[in-house]
Amino acid sequence: MVNTRTNEEWLEDLRASGAVQEAALSDLRDLLLRTVLFFFSRNLGDFERLSHMEILQLAEDGAQDALIAVMDHLSDFRGDSKFTTWVYKFGINIALMTARRERWKGRSLEQVSFSADGTVSEWVMQDKSSGLTPDQSAMQSEIRENIREVIEQELTDKQRRVLIMMVFHEVPMDEVARRLDTNRNAIYKMLHDARRKLKNRLQARGFEIDEILATFTVQR
Amino acid sequence: MNGDRFERWLRNIYETRDEEISCTECFDLVSRFVELEVSGQDAAAEMPQVKQHLNQCPACHAEYEALRDLRRLEEGGEMPSLDDLQNLIP
Repeated sequence: MVNTRTNEEWLEDLRASGAVQEAALSDLRDLLLRTVLFFFSRNLGDFERLSHMEILQLAEDGAQDALIAVMDHLSDFRGDSKFTTWVYKFGINIALMTARRERWKGRSLEQVSFSADGTVSEWVMQDKSSGLTPDQSAMQSEIRENIREVIEQELTDKQRRVLIMMVFHEVPMDEVARRLDTNRNAIYKMLHDARRKLKNRLQARGFEIDEILATFTVQR
Repeated sequence: MNGDRFERWLRNIYETRDEEISCTECFDLVSRFVELEVSGQDAAAEMPQVKQHLNQCPACHAEYEALRDLRRLEEGGEMPSLDDLQNLIP
């Protein structure tokens, strides 16, 4: 029955009562559990410290949370995809947040959060000049220096902190959001604002993407 | 930051637009985007704002890839069973 319902039948059955709704909810839960486990199975590195049973329990909990989210948003379904595709994304969303949280559990972000200036300065000072002509080396230094100036002087403290964590230390977005007690939208907006400032500066200095990439990739 | 990551970041900077959709808007639209892809249509041309957001946002992109792959398995009649998936967990 799981994969044989039409979109309309899914909605009708989930909004029904009694045995019909119970059967639909059971099928929905099965789909979401498989979705969460599918994501987990592709990201096993996030669960290295957990046992088989602990991972399965996380999947059960995630499927339950996703089921609640789907039912809360049922009226948002517009029918522009298969209903099951729309359902899967709720399971995947919760699975990703669970996986990233497990990966970073117990790890402090203090070090990466508060060494912002040092991180960028160290990056700017890295010697990357081997194999470059003097002109290329000078241009690379100028680009790095411009990026450092924007990060240190034009970004707000919060934009800088988020950018350092995500771009330089590869902390997952949802983990940054969780630790800063905010959400993915707010983090994305901060990074977007930071990218705009960096783009404006680099373009104002006359750097075009192709020549920048040529300068930075010639040595690899 | 290694070379590949730095190159990707530079591209992201230059591909920045004044107006970009939020993660919530992307989440709302991504199931349609995947459906277009799976049916062989040019999703990026139909929904350029979603494509742009997915290029910029690592979290939404990871979710999109998983959704697309799961949907393709389903389309090919290869949706993994619960037992199969549980057996993949070490």
